[in-house]
Amino acid sequence: MENIIRLEGISYSYYDQIPALSEIDLEVADGDNLAVIGANGSGKSTLLQIMGGLRYPSKGRFFFREADVSERSLRNKGSLKFFRKSVGYVFQDSDVQLFCPTVLDELLYGPLQLDIDEKEALDRAFEVMKMLNIEQLKNRPSYMLSGGEKKKVAIGSVLTMNPEVLLLDEPTNGLDPKTQCFLVELMFALKDAGKTLVVATHDLSLVDELQARVAVLSEEHRIEKVGGVNEILGDQDLLLRVNLIHEHIHRHGETIHRHIHSHYLFHRHEG
Amino acid sequence: MANRIPSFLLDRSSPAPLKPDSGRVRVSFVEKGINHLARVIKKGYIHSEFFPRTGFFQKIDPRIKIFFLIFFIIIVSLRKDLLSELYVSIFIFVLVLLSRLKAVTFYRRVLLFGFFFGFLIALPSAFNFVTKGEMILPVATLSRPYDFWIYHIPATIGITKEGMLGVAMLTMRVINSLSLSFLVLYTTPFPEMVRALKILRVPDTFLIIISLCYKYIFLFSKTIEDMYLSKRARMLGEEDNKKAREWTAGRLALIFRKTQLRCEEVFRAMVGRGFSDSIKLYGFGKMRPMDWASGAILFSIGLLFLLM
Repeated sequence: MENIIRLEGISYSYYDQIPALSEIDLEVADGDNLAVIGANGSGKSTLLQIMGGLRYPSKGRFFFREADVSERSLRNKGSLKFFRKSVGYVFQDSDVQLFCPTVLDELLYGPLQLDIDEKEALDRAFEVMKMLNIEQLKNRPSYMLSGGEKKKVAIGSVLTMNPEVLLLDEPTNGLDPKTQCFLVELMFALKDAGKTLVVATHDLSLVDELQARVAVLSEEHRIEKVGGVNEILGDQDLLLRVNLIHEHIHRHGETIHRHIHSHYLFHRHEG
Repeated sequence: MANRIPSFLLDRSSPAPLKPDSGRVRVSFVEKGINHLARVIKKGYIHSEFFPRTGFFQKIDPRIKIFFLIFFIIIVSLRKDLLSELYVSIFIFVLVLLSRLKAVTFYRRVLLFGFFFGFLIALPSAFNFVTKGEMILPVATLSRPYDFWIYHIPATIGITKEGMLGVAMLTMRVINSLSLSFLVLYTTPFPEMVRALKILRVPDTFLIIISLCYKYIFLFSKTIEDMYLSKRARMLGEEDNKKAREWTAGRLALIFRKTQLRCEEVFRAMVGRGFSDSIKLYGFGKMRPMDWASGAILFSIGLLFLLM
């Protein structure tokens, strides 16, 4: 399958001092379902923001559909329009993403920027609200929404632009189990609809549920390994090394008990 | 869920490939300003992270540094001749080098602020209608002298020697004071500097208010930068200044609301950890012999400048 995103030797540091990414090479195929996992501070969000054209690498190159994406190329109106139309970014903190007066305005913002006519934009907004079960919130300001509702609106505001690629930064973080489940189902549906999904997370059970291809970021901000979900999640040494699971010691009466601890590893299906 | 996916999301027709056209995207002044300000605040908060930590001044106890700063600013203000100011400048330059700070970056900032807040502000006093004296550079000639309120404007307006000396003196004082302040600022982490203010008998309550304010300004500036990024993620072109101002106003309202909520949360967190009506801050430990020695050396050099 054709590569939709290609990163070549990407490095990034904050204020030219604090390293966030080091020599990252990564390819994402059209329709792929990729999870970027790593411990806190490993550079997952920075990597996603580079893929979303929101930060520009200090070193290396980023290609979208084999076209070079850089600060310079995105200063061009044609290139910017193509890129923003194709790539949608859902932020970890929904509050920073929602800036319109009401939920409906939020969903209409993207399509109207794309010069889609008002009727079509409204149709898209209502269809997305129906899909996300947020029709009753259409006239509500974003600060009067719960965390889960905000996340749904933030995703909806990107979906109305119908991007080819969806970049989701810690999508299930801080959400209740029901909303988490809803989001996983939504991601499945979007995957089936042919969207390319890139999810940054340290939630291993989410990775398992999504059955995504996995790229593991180390605490040294490098790609440690890229592989299938079973290969990565079955590699306990790797997960220990990158600090995604840890050794846990506790007592059962007089006996000291030691085992690998992870919420994912406790989740086992009986056949 | 699959049956409920809207039909437009199933449309796989790819947009036209990334092809540059002739148009260029201009970022509005308001947006650039906000983003820049947020970055400056963030950088300011963690400034000490960007400078070497192993230099001479970095190793000294912050209390000595605060004492040094105040003592030397008094010296700079008391000296009345340019030569003494120059000696102080050379001494600060040596300290900058000993502290392994990047001299070019350091003096670029000092001179920029010194030019605006020293030279430009003092410049009018160089003219003969403010400072009388020997004319060294005539600038304009009027048909006759004018008297306006308490001012006498002579027929020939120009710069006087005494006026120029006054401007040079004030500019040197500003530059020296700025160099001293930046030297302390760049070699001391912000929380330690605030804590060191205890030697000036600044109340703990005031210190914790300064720390909290600065910390939350930093956190909110990060939120503002993220908001700017999130807007860019959905922006497909330029936006006029009116719309940018509207967006800014909306963001300000949200930040205000978040600030209020955060304020209540922080208060509850403080109450939860035993806060009643007074704040007790952990002070510093005992000063090491090296701190006392450095303090004595700096104090002696300061006295020398004062008695010179």
